[in-house]
Amino acid sequence: MNDFKLVVRNLLGSRSRFALTLVGITLGITSLVVMMSLGAGLRAQIDKQAADLGANLIVTPKGWCAYEQVKVLSGTQLPDAIPAEDLAAIEQLEGIRVLPYLTVGSAIDNEPVPVTGIRMDETVASKRWSLAEGEVPQAEEALEVLAGAAVADSFGLAVGDALTLRGATFTVAGVLEAAGTGDDGVLFIPLAAAQKVYETDGRISFAAVQVDDLDAVDLAAQRITDAANVAVVSDRQLLASVLSVVNTVSTTLRIIAAVAVLTAAFGIVNTMLMATFERRREIGIMKSIGSSNARIFRTFMAEAATYGVVGGLIGLAVGTGVSRLLTPLIAQNEFTAFVGGARVDAVPPLADMALILGGAVVVATLAGVYPAWRAARLTPVEAISYE
Amino acid sequence: MSSAPMGAAITGGTTAAREHVMTVRDAHKTYEGRGVPVHALRGVDLDIDTGSFTCLIGPSGHGKSTLLHLLGGLDRPSSGSVTVLGEHIERMSDAQLARFRAHRIGFVFQFFNLLKGLTVAENVQLAMSFAGASAREQRSRTDELLASVGLSAKRDARANELSGGQMQRVAIARALANDPEVLLLDEPTGNLDSASESEVLGILDGLHAEGRTIVMVTHSLEIAARAERIVEVHDGRVLA
Ligand SMILES: Nc1ncnc2c1ncn2[C@@H]1O[C@H](COP(=O)(O)OP(=O)(O)OP(=O)(O)O)[C@@H](O)[C@H]1O
Ligand SMILES: [Mg+2]
Repeated sequence: MNDFKLVVRNLLGSRSRFALTLVGITLGITSLVVMMSLGAGLRAQIDKQAADLGANLIVTPKGWCAYEQVKVLSGTQLPDAIPAEDLAAIEQLEGIRVLPYLTVGSAIDNEPVPVTGIRMDETVASKRWSLAEGEVPQAEEALEVLAGAAVADSFGLAVGDALTLRGATFTVAGVLEAAGTGDDGVLFIPLAAAQKVYETDGRISFAAVQVDDLDAVDLAAQRITDAANVAVVSDRQLLASVLSVVNTVSTTLRIIAAVAVLTAAFGIVNTMLMATFERRREIGIMKSIGSSNARIFRTFMAEAATYGVVGGLIGLAVGTGVSRLLTPLIAQNEFTAFVGGARVDAVPPLADMALILGGAVVVATLAGVYPAWRAARLTPVEAISYE
Repeated sequence: MSSAPMGAAITGGTTAAREHVMTVRDAHKTYEGRGVPVHALRGVDLDIDTGSFTCLIGPSGHGKSTLLHLLGGLDRPSSGSVTVLGEHIERMSDAQLARFRAHRIGFVFQFFNLLKGLTVAENVQLAMSFAGASAREQRSRTDELLASVGLSAKRDARANELSGGQMQRVAIARALANDPEVLLLDEPTGNLDSASESEVLGILDGLHAEGRTIVMVTHSLEIAARAERIVEVHDGRVLA
């Protein structure tokens, strides 16, 4: 006879209660896994996106909110709001390189596709894109397309294919290698061609600015706002505002999960207290034939911990499955739209899994402390004389 | 009814402690329940000789079980001293008492008090595990003990599938699990038919013959007559 056997008997002695308590902790852990993997996936995606920005400053029209600024990362259509004079004034300034963007939209087979006008060579160089096939359009007003990997893939675009944007016929000149960012989901066309076809009168949506002297980023921002009627946000500010949105979301998710786990912990406390009460007599018998308080305590703690181990393992499995199912839905939601075609990693890393399992065991064990203490504290006589 | 001469215990000093396996001096036990405290024992003096067979008798509610619990280290006296096998029960910690109960005392209850979910063998083995016996020791000794109470065939039966007499024999086997010097029984035949009763009493006679000290609470004068000594507990005291 050993403790392990005893714990199993005790747990299975009341099967339905065991199952119910297990469902509680399993649900808690499942939601934790789902929330964490979605939250972590989002965050990782944003980090990468922002790192790939390739600019120190973003020049935007005055009055944009953080949400619109964040959209800069995705290639989503934004208003063309910076007039040619302002762009020209900024380009006059020394010590900076300006990459203007004109984000417009189009549709292929009735599906919306982001289209962005860029200065081809400069942008390709600054973003360190590499080509999967074809070449970068050369002429400024060429009706040619450089397609992101994801759009090319989903619409089966290949070099030489023709497509119509705003009534003009463009030819695919090149297809980019996947970069793992929102750029993968965008069709790039030469800026001058975009301005002409979309009749923006030389206006652009925003501009990315690279500052030569990294110590003079703030000064450069100042000079830009002095020279033109625009707002400037630094990559760090942009990153901070994106992360703060993501953090708010993932903190909320974590709180929900924590509440679920906490509720489950109270379920364990409740079950264990009931068990303590029901097994009063049994505890008294065990004590009167020589069981130490410590051993009673240990058995109860082991029972509680078992809920953590079993519930944790099932929760991890179910949670991973659910995250996988939810990922495509989440990837289309309004908030994550700017993450573009990039996928959210649904499976939490092994270290996180171990951490969650460990956490489940710790929580369950902690939940067992009070009931186990109550059980251990019973004196043999009071437990036995209880009828 | 050959009670030991009281004078010997009082004047005997250290030698008395050796021949008396249990010594109780002015033991009081008060239960502080809700409301009025219950004075279950009000100054018990008692000596039990090593290897003797003693019966405790007395009216219901007068403190027999309470006294037996003190002797078995299941509880401590509120005041006074209880010395069993050289150990001072009143001074021992919970952990010390648990070890004492596991190794040195066998306790049998009126209502069997087996663990119902476990098998007969597991009930006995559990008691052994409290004394730290290895799994192999547990198995071999359990078979031996169950044979000695005539229950080898019921080894793997659930405890709650047994008859009262069988349960009580398992309880005795369990009490003997760690080969204790002292066996304490609280009305072990109170719930048994006469056939089961004589089976159990036969086993106890054998254990007494082996040299174990036995103290048994009973309501039956007929049973008490089989003992070497009868001690009457009345109103929380032992009558001389
Ligand atoms: N755990 C307890 N809490 C409070 N009072 C108790 C407790 N155990 C016993 N008592 C009281 O102490 C007194 C003595 O009880 P005890 O069980 O020792 O009597 P007994 O002589 O064994 O009686 P019986 O022959 O009915 O078994 C009784 O009044 C009883 O109600
Ligand atoms: Mg009694």
